[in-house]
Amino acid sequence: MRRRLLYILLIFSLILLISTPVRAQSYSFQVPKLTVDVYWNEDGTVSVDYTFVFANNPSGQAIDYVDLGLPNNNYSDNNITASVNGTPVNDISSSGFQGEGGSGVAIGLGQNAIQPGKMGTVQVHVDDIRDVLYVDSQDNNYASAVFGTSWFGSSFVSGNTDMTVTFHLPPGVQPDQPKWHAAPGGFPAQPVTGVDDQGRITYTWQNSTANSYTQYKFGASFPMNFVPSTAIVKVNPFAGIGKFISGAIFPLLCIGGFIAIVASGFASNNRRKKQYLPPKISIEGHGIKRGLTAVEAAILLEEPLDKIMTMILFSVIKKNVAEVITRDPLEIKVNEPLPDSLQAYEKDFITAFQESDTNRRKELRDMIVALVRNVTEKMKGFSRTETIAYYRDITKRAWEQVEAADTPEVKSQKYEEVMEWTMLDKNYGDRTEDVFRNTPVFIPTWWGHYDPSFGHGPLRPGGTAVSTGGGVPRVPGADFAASMAMGVQNFSGKVVGNINDFTSSITSVTNPPPKVSTSPSKGGFKGGGGGGFSCACACACAGCACACAGGGR
Amino acid sequence: MPKQGIYHFTFHEDNNKSRIHLRIDPDKNGLLIVNANRIIHLNPTASLMAYFILKNTQHEQAINIFTKAFNVSKEQTENDYAQLAEQLQELIKPDGACPIHDLSLEIKPPFSVTPSAPYRMDLAITYRCNNDCSHCYNARSRDYPELSMKNWNHILDLFWKIGIPHIVFTGGEPTLREDLPELVAHAEQNGQITGINTNGRRFSDPKYVDTLVRAGLDHVQITIESHKPDIHDSMVNSRGAWKQTIAGIRNALNSPLYVMTNTTMLTDNSPYLRETLEFLASNGVPTIGLNALIYSGRGLSVNTGIVESELPQLLNIAKEITSKHNQRLIWYTPTQYCNFDPMQLELGVKGCTAAMYNMCIEPNGDVIPCQSYYQSLGNILTTSWSNIWNHKLSANLRERKNIPQKCNACALVSECGGGCPLVMNISGNN
Repeated sequence: MRRRLLYILLIFSLILLISTPVRAQSYSFQVPKLTVDVYWNEDGTVSVDYTFVFANNPSGQAIDYVDLGLPNNNYSDNNITASVNGTPVNDISSSGFQGEGGSGVAIGLGQNAIQPGKMGTVQVHVDDIRDVLYVDSQDNNYASAVFGTSWFGSSFVSGNTDMTVTFHLPPGVQPDQPKWHAAPGGFPAQPVTGVDDQGRITYTWQNSTANSYTQYKFGASFPMNFVPSTAIVKVNPFAGIGKFISGAIFPLLCIGGFIAIVASGFASNNRRKKQYLPPKISIEGHGIKRGLTAVEAAILLEEPLDKIMTMILFSVIKKNVAEVITRDPLEIKVNEPLPDSLQAYEKDFITAFQESDTNRRKELRDMIVALVRNVTEKMKGFSRTETIAYYRDITKRAWEQVEAADTPEVKSQKYEEVMEWTMLDKNYGDRTEDVFRNTPVFIPTWWGHYDPSFGHGPLRPGGTAVSTGGGVPRVPGADFAASMAMGVQNFSGKVVGNINDFTSSITSVTNPPPKVSTSPSKGGFKGGGGGGFSCACACACAGCACACAGGGR
Repeated sequence: MPKQGIYHFTFHEDNNKSRIHLRIDPDKNGLLIVNANRIIHLNPTASLMAYFILKNTQHEQAINIFTKAFNVSKEQTENDYAQLAEQLQELIKPDGACPIHDLSLEIKPPFSVTPSAPYRMDLAITYRCNNDCSHCYNARSRDYPELSMKNWNHILDLFWKIGIPHIVFTGGEPTLREDLPELVAHAEQNGQITGINTNGRRFSDPKYVDTLVRAGLDHVQITIESHKPDIHDSMVNSRGAWKQTIAGIRNALNSPLYVMTNTTMLTDNSPYLRETLEFLASNGVPTIGLNALIYSGRGLSVNTGIVESELPQLLNIAKEITSKHNQRLIWYTPTQYCNFDPMQLELGVKGCTAAMYNMCIEPNGDVIPCQSYYQSLGNILTTSWSNIWNHKLSANLRERKNIPQKCNACALVSECGGGCPLVMNISGNN
């Protein structure tokens, strides 16, 4: 089934559209900005320009369709144009409209669908919609023009919308003639008046803290003689019902037809089957858990344990609290005293390496178990999915920083700064090699503490010797990448033995079956969010009735 | 089709019981409340499906209702229905899957959904008290007028009609009302979950505890200030109170009630917090509540409050001890996150929930935003609920309109909300 974002868009003076069904379960986005220009034309039609900026949340699905509800069928598809990020959209079809109310148009974004975590600007122009003006119920010589903004289902959209709505009144209307209706809550009571580049009077309402799940209605009235009399819908059975603030001259105005037509819309809908929205459940809480270290993020991302332990090794070396004495077998020397700022897993790691082989394996296992539990604790109340997406994005941006560097020196420097984040990349070895394919790596100052052979010959057997020409030692990128990979292999083969057995010994404690969740050769595991631990998310969430239950009497 | 309102369901599995409330709002969106604790938002379709599932409606019948009423295929309805049923099954289990991690439900920002009515109503049925705490937030006289049992029963019915599933009897000391068991029974008959906030002294009589249990009471929160009798008795200004309170805690723990304690951390007792918590753990208290001074009533002048920036040290101790004993720790007090961020200590998102998730009724029927915010929004017997809920103060608190200006640019303002409004109201805290 085609998945659709249903965007109920227009409510003119005769709107039928009531609700905002959204088809798929996982739409989740924001509309930080919405600009609407409403042109009340001299032929009595209305043209509307929409520019809305979508910010699709990382956890949301792609925004692939936008359905625009329209007040009636008195328009032509040929008069609708749309674009996404400036690229014209060809898939515009009234027959494809799946919204409630029966009238509208479907805009298919196709290959330009707005992906999760991305922003996109969608512009829609609808020209010449007929039968949209009514007789002003307070003054038969005035035409009433009412416009209601579109809205999304509150289940799908969040955050503030900086909303600007501008009425362009028919050409020829003079500044002292038109009157604005009452502004919706949150907007200034009086619009900003002005003149557009066509010399038309404009009313502009703006609110930077509006939202996109509320419908806001705006209205104005102007002398009827500026549009053909045949363009005015004469039915106005509810004259006198609504109260709207006018300008200085007319204290009260009503919009004609609005309530009548809405009622008619309900009746019409009742004869049809109702639009179906797939069921959706949501909970209040935090999306992304920020502030995890790269090692903690690696746990969350279920990276292989040998890689995670290599990351910890890099971490303690970079902090200058340990250095490798021999790589085969891997032995480290600890530089006492240890600073207080070390992470608990770093302290445990150092402690483990002060033990003999068998005990070391056990200590390392305990370290990982504690680390998994700690990450699980930290993730309480946060979305695992969104947090994973967040740290994947950090990794992506880390690589982009390295790749964007102009010179080998800057590239190496950037790489050193973000190395722990690049290691979260599943293919970090290949990627390192690619990034430094034609450029040398300027070796970081601490590298000798990681590779004792550094400076005493080839970086790896058969590799290229270290060059110190120009002052800072450097090696070919491929050799550097191979050296890092070797470090991981050392862990998997020579420190913890069989990595799958080691992983199983951890998952059996932290997260009962399945014992090894990823490819056996990778030694991955499950951790960092749910599973075997009692999860206290219910209380970590904000929508919890235990908040401020009172005490202190 | 179900009408707007609240529906109550009880499920038993092994020795566990779940109390489920499904509240269907006028706009057809729904709220699933599990054991008056976990709040889950449902869109209209999910609300309707949840209703049929919880009512154990025959499967074919439910599917037919959907395919006749909605423009949807039978296949999609069956798929959606099955998936929702599976999720619900986990959500209503006492130890079911985590909605965030295991079910991957959509997450809405904290405090982003304004409910149609509170989740919990605190009934301060009397301001009388057999303690006399020097830090008490009560700002009213102890002989404040009290409504009759008939009036309270009427109020309970009204709240059920509004859709409030959780009632907490408080005070003053609610156990001083002799008709408390009857009030509990009335609320339970409606389908409401009931609890008591008490100093626990009357609980020292096991027969009294039994009476409340038989009335249907679900949970009790007992205030204990210290493991040391002299500190407790001094803080509550009543000699011999500690002994009765401890006996009350033990009697409650021996009953089927869900029991938690609450301790206000002040300069008097906080130096011994570790020992107090160890003492409570040794007595088997499963859930520990902690809060800071409430700046209302005597709390305004007692001068024993702990500044927010000093809270982390104490709460780290609390975390360490409750974690060691597998207890649940609940931190109540809304703070300004720039001074004390509960999220950093993994205590959850804590913000003011007055006039949003919870409200309070005074002994005379006046509705106030929370137990310690003494500004009437109207009397529940004479003012329409709509006027109370939409009172300017209610709306301002919900929309956090009066937060300090400095907070507007803060990234955490949606979670923090500027802290407790009562603290904000004190000069110099803005």
